Amino acid sequence: MCDIGCPHLQEIKASKGVELYRIIFSSFVAASNSVARKRKAIHCYCFVCKSVDYRLHSCLNCVYFGCYNGHHIQDHAKHKKHYLAVELSHGNVLCVACGTYVYDDDLLNVAHELMVRAGSRLGMGALYRPWEPSTKVLELLRKNPKRRKIVPGVAIGLRGLINLGNTCFMNCIVQALTHTPLLRDHFLTEEHVCRPEDQPGCLVCEVSTLFQEFYSGNKGPLTLHRLLHMIWTHARHLAGYEQQDAHEFFIATLDVLHRHCKASAPALPENENSQRDNPHQCSCIIDTIFTGGLQSDVVCQACKGVSTTIDPFWDISLDLGRGGNNIGDDSSFNTSMGSDLALSGEQSKQTNSGPTTLIDCLERFTRAEHLGSSAKIKCNNCQSYQESTKQLTMKKLPVVASFHLKRFEHSSRLHKKISTYISFPEQLDMTPFMSNHRNNRNLFNSGASSSSSSSSDSAGEWNSSGSGSLSLTDNRYSLFAVINHLGTLDAGHYTAYVRQQNNHWFKCDDHMITKANLQEVLDSEGYLLFYHKKLMEFQ
Amino acid sequence: MSRYSERRKAIEASLDHQNHDGKEKKVNSKRAVNQHLTIEGDKEKFKELLRRRLIECGWRDELRVLCRDTIRERGIHNVTVDEIVEDVTPKGRALVPDTVKKELLQKIRTYLHEKAFK
Repeated sequence: MCDIGCPHLQEIKASKGVELYRIIFSSFVAASNSVARKRKAIHCYCFVCKSVDYRLHSCLNCVYFGCYNGHHIQDHAKHKKHYLAVELSHGNVLCVACGTYVYDDDLLNVAHELMVRAGSRLGMGALYRPWEPSTKVLELLRKNPKRRKIVPGVAIGLRGLINLGNTCFMNCIVQALTHTPLLRDHFLTEEHVCRPEDQPGCLVCEVSTLFQEFYSGNKGPLTLHRLLHMIWTHARHLAGYEQQDAHEFFIATLDVLHRHCKASAPALPENENSQRDNPHQCSCIIDTIFTGGLQSDVVCQACKGVSTTIDPFWDISLDLGRGGNNIGDDSSFNTSMGSDLALSGEQSKQTNSGPTTLIDCLERFTRAEHLGSSAKIKCNNCQSYQESTKQLTMKKLPVVASFHLKRFEHSSRLHKKISTYISFPEQLDMTPFMSNHRNNRNLFNSGASSSSSSSSDSAGEWNSSGSGSLSLTDNRYSLFAVINHLGTLDAGHYTAYVRQQNNHWFKCDDHMITKANLQEVLDSEGYLLFYHKKLMEFQ
Repeated sequence: MSRYSERRKAIEASLDHQNHDGKEKKVNSKRAVNQHLTIEGDKEKFKELLRRRLIECGWRDELRVLCRDTIRERGIHNVTVDEIVEDVTPKGRALVPDTVKKELLQKIRTYLHEKAFK
């Protein structure tokens, strides 16, 4: 097997080119329009046994369909001396004379092109293409025959971090970041290209080195003095040996990383693609992983005109307080919840006592909020100042969803920590909080709703997606890191739980790393919760 | 002929055959369903969904390893696609997680139900 096919294929290619293959492929393998699909549906069956499966092939020389399992295509080939046939579910070329499938680069390129075209016409998005090592990678692998195997139980990626004096806020964030699967893959494959002479003090380079250190296989604890110093220089408000807020540090770090990525970005040609898809959004690794889009719909109560804005976000801060932000009158609240009686009953109970689960918090976050008579907004539609409602929903989900539970309450009079127990799931489905889902519910009052109960139930997900029945979008997430704050507002300590391999959890307390289990993680108080998307869309 | 009547015809055709003996009925309705799914383009969507689920759960990688084992065992120059298929198919079928089968079954069932009663 090589990539120039076989002599028989070369012969037919020389005389007829790839056009014949293209026609067969676009009509019967990946039918790209309804006419072709109809033709495929009606005409594609074995000319001998009439079956439609059993690996149906089409002759590459004449109009003939035959199945492989019944030996009918082979019979045809031998009888007519038409040795080449195209397999109709994947489009591979069979050479009956050689007795095997043959692969030719030109035909493979045609196949891929047509596959992508048919896929996009059916609205299926980009297709999966398995990773192939480049020649450079192959050479490196050959030159370096030593391999390290990742087996269950290996401690790779686990490094303690020395506390440099109240720097646990940094240590726990670094633990969460280094265990973010996609970020780890990005840095371990050395995707960050930067010229150090142009970029002195590039934080991305520092983080890149840090990742290499974390996964080098060494076990001793690391000291992050360089990273700390860089953060101090680039985010002045965090400088000094005082206690800092881990959330603030997280956002500041993302911000500096994002800025430094941008500075070195023009050197990366592969960014062009994503730039085209998201013209107003940066394509750096931080934005690719952490940025989502929050849709805000402001509905004027007088004319019902909606004004919509979409803002990028890196994390979602969730209120834990009783009653939450002003709920306004109950009528607007009910419309937003549709006719979902069970849920709204439960909901009203919660509004009195504050949320108890992450799902509650997200429900509260994404429900319509009455802005009240004191906050009249000028409506673009009716050109007058009117009372309005505002609703936030997820327009675009990030790869990593970071939730910040607002445990520190700072009001004019009091500063206190809210230690309420908020349960959070290991698996989270964000579908109910998506803009299109929420809006559908508002419009049609569809009773069959999915709330927290269906989040883990894949069968329920199907029903809840309603009209877009064959939608391929997948909004499921799984938990991979949790940061906890222990103690009080004035004197506290941060620890992190991280997921190492699929289901192995570890507790990182500065330089100490101990084994943990999922239950322990889920039972913890939770300050910052990090969820990773389970299924990525290919771009 | 409109798309709708095409669909109706396919489904009615499958129902017409109810008087025939069981086997033929099964074959015919299978064909009608297959035709209908192909015409609407939904067969490709189901296939893509299945493909994604199988990649997601690691089935694809497992199968890759199985194929590699077979090739290694028999030697790269002595192995044919048929032999690999024969070797790997039963193992591959057994490795498909029940959750994936259930999800696909459920979705296809719901889909057919929706279409038949529209």
